[in-house]
Amino acid sequence: MPERHPQTRTNQPLLRGLPTTASILLLLLLSLVRAQADLWSEVQSRGVLRWGDDAEGGAPYIYHPENDATRLVGFEVEFAEALAARLGVRDQFVQNNWDMLLPALRQGGNFDVVIAGMERTPENLAKADMSRPYFVFAQQLVVRSNNAAWQSISDLKGKPVGVLSASSSHRLLERLGGFDIRVYQDNVNYFRDLEVGRIDGVLTDTPIAQVNLAGNDRLRAAGAPFEPGYYAVAVPAGETNLLRRLDTAIEGLAADGTLERIYTKYGQWSATQEGLRTWQPPVEVVRRQRSGLREWRTFLPMLLRAAVTTVWVTCGGMILAVTLGLALAIVKQYAPAPLRWMAVAYIEVFRGTPLLLQIYFIYFGLAQQLGLKLSAGAAAVLALGLNYAATEAENYRAGLLSVPRGQMEAALALGMKQRVALRRVLLPQALRISLPSVTNDFIAMFKDSSIVSVIALVELTKEFQIRAIDTGDYLGLGLMTAGIYFAMSWTASLGARRIERMLHHDHR
Amino acid sequence: MITVEKLTKSFGSHRVLDAVDHRQERSESVVILGPSGCGKSTFLRCLNQLEVPDSGRITISDVTVDCARPVPREVQRQLRLRAGMVFQQFHLFPHLTALENILEAPVHVQGRPRAEVLDEARALLAQVGLSDRAGHRPSQLSGGQQQRVAIARALAMRPAVLLLDEPTSALDPELREEVRDVLRRLADDGLTMLLVTHDLQLARDVSDRIRFFHGGQVVEEGRPEAVLDNPQHPRTREFMGKTGGG
Ligand SMILES: Nc1ncnc2c1ncn2[C@@H]1O[C@H](COP(=O)(O)OP(=O)(O)OP(=O)(O)O)[C@@H](O)[C@H]1O
Ligand SMILES: [Mg+2]
Repeated sequence: MPERHPQTRTNQPLLRGLPTTASILLLLLLSLVRAQADLWSEVQSRGVLRWGDDAEGGAPYIYHPENDATRLVGFEVEFAEALAARLGVRDQFVQNNWDMLLPALRQGGNFDVVIAGMERTPENLAKADMSRPYFVFAQQLVVRSNNAAWQSISDLKGKPVGVLSASSSHRLLERLGGFDIRVYQDNVNYFRDLEVGRIDGVLTDTPIAQVNLAGNDRLRAAGAPFEPGYYAVAVPAGETNLLRRLDTAIEGLAADGTLERIYTKYGQWSATQEGLRTWQPPVEVVRRQRSGLREWRTFLPMLLRAAVTTVWVTCGGMILAVTLGLALAIVKQYAPAPLRWMAVAYIEVFRGTPLLLQIYFIYFGLAQQLGLKLSAGAAAVLALGLNYAATEAENYRAGLLSVPRGQMEAALALGMKQRVALRRVLLPQALRISLPSVTNDFIAMFKDSSIVSVIALVELTKEFQIRAIDTGDYLGLGLMTAGIYFAMSWTASLGARRIERMLHHDHR
Repeated sequence: MITVEKLTKSFGSHRVLDAVDHRQERSESVVILGPSGCGKSTFLRCLNQLEVPDSGRITISDVTVDCARPVPREVQRQLRLRAGMVFQQFHLFPHLTALENILEAPVHVQGRPRAEVLDEARALLAQVGLSDRAGHRPSQLSGGQQQRVAIARALAMRPAVLLLDEPTSALDPELREEVRDVLRRLADDGLTMLLVTHDLQLARDVSDRIRFFHGGQVVEEGRPEAVLDNPQHPRTREFMGKTGGG
């Protein structure tokens, strides 16, 4: 199950805005109508099979050919075309975020089937019906070429191995155990981190390995593909008529050599694909709608472990932010011209550009251009800290400016040097004034820290995404995750209020 | 103890001090009177360099600065160490207790051991009648009490002279007497004081000499009885009439 979506943030239609009563009624009505009509006859009368996929998937699945951003090619594009033709209709591609393809299919989205490297697994079968397979893939280990010793996945026990978030490779490594699993959001950046040595291996699906190893002599495939899996067409549950038609059509495409022709064109045909012709459905398929709340004993510890990452990334980032922010505020307010301009420039640049961009720059940019290979954790703390330092600097400056002028004059009149006056008289008062804004930012950072998941750091939100994709239970797991976030920021604000009250008390 | 020669200061085109001279002996207590806006505060603030004068020479104790040239920060600081300052609005440090306000500069400017300064600070608090308020924060003290702590804070640095800018003006009339009382005793003890005030009672009680400012210059000066009860210059007369001190 290759998630081939680069850095797309998950949309949650359930939570997006409050629909009016009218549109709720309309939706109910539509779903009643839909439940009665048979999807196959709908497709037939429309003359079009609408298939959902994510065009960001990349080669060899679905991609824009070089120099032509309007056209889509790839073995799945051609398979969809052939499949529709075999059914006697035209095909129509519908773009959808990969993460949300199956949920959208279930909720009656604007496509009839999903053709997007969906693996025929019990997890997916719980969310949708699935056709017979149209493609056989397997797991491929990729390592650096200069490392001749590693030949199989067991050679990398205890070493950092990159996988795609919630993919079959990810699940396989978790099942095997004993690996330092690094979770990525897309199929590009783990190869980059492998090249620069941040990780020692990548476990991925054969098509992805095949495309990325072509013409790259720094990386090599280690050992033979293993753990075969099947891509199948996903159909809304209960649409048996459509499902039967699809099965027959796919069987036909396998038998008459159409699949072989398409896959050969994309370098994907191998002896293992012969299995498509003889494939028989497993006798017993466990269909179980999983519930995060009912299985809280499994999921709560996972989420809590990820929450620990959130906590230390946030605390580390905040410690950096408050100290650097203080220095910036003082320099901006009191230092001579050239230094002051630098502080102003820093603050404006870090406040004026997106945090996400800064994270990419620090993690990937510095490694590529300067060879500065920060660990994901260090990069996350650095990015959050550098970014928030700009905000904290302004908080402190506001605090400094609101200390009455007479305080500085009284301190100077007592013979204090400016530096002593600042440290002993102005800052103690300014920090008290800015404390509420600083604690607000601390709580905000708990939530903002979820953005660091783009650099292979599994914090709370990322863990939630992984488990929600596995189980399809966005609601239950979402509630648990929200509960943990709430507990964290509640604790933080309680602590902050306590400090505020303490300082306020002896300030009065 | 204090010598000022031709001190001049303008704000923009407005000349606030016009070649003012001032001479003051050790243990002498001088009061400056004058209408509002005539530059009294500016004069005091120039003396300890909270304002930068345009020209003139200032000598306090053993430190002399020539204001026509830029004054190095360290020289400014040396001047300030010899001239304690008491402000109309007290400007106590709100995050410190009364006692800590007094300890702050001796410990963190002069670097004297806290234990040694502590006895002295308590004695100063006793001197201004606030022994029982040592642990109070400024916000827990009345205006008169705050001003007395501010005087103790300035004295803790053992300045050669004490500059006071309207020390009783921010206080309710019934609280003024307690501050006057402290200042009377300091004058009796021989402290060199330069005091700006509109409080004629205070001027009469503590001054050895009164100087009357007008238009950026000293237009009259003399013994307190002479200036207060028998002013010569028309401006002084007008001022005494208005303030009701005649
Ligand atoms: N920082 C400043 N910028 C511009 N003008 C100023 C500044 N400080 C004082 N002045 C002006 O200088 C003049 C003298 O001010 P100063 O405060 O010395 O008067 P003062 O004699 O102390 O008056 P008062 O009795 O009201 O306290 C006033 O006209 C005032 O407006
Ligand atoms: Mg004044």
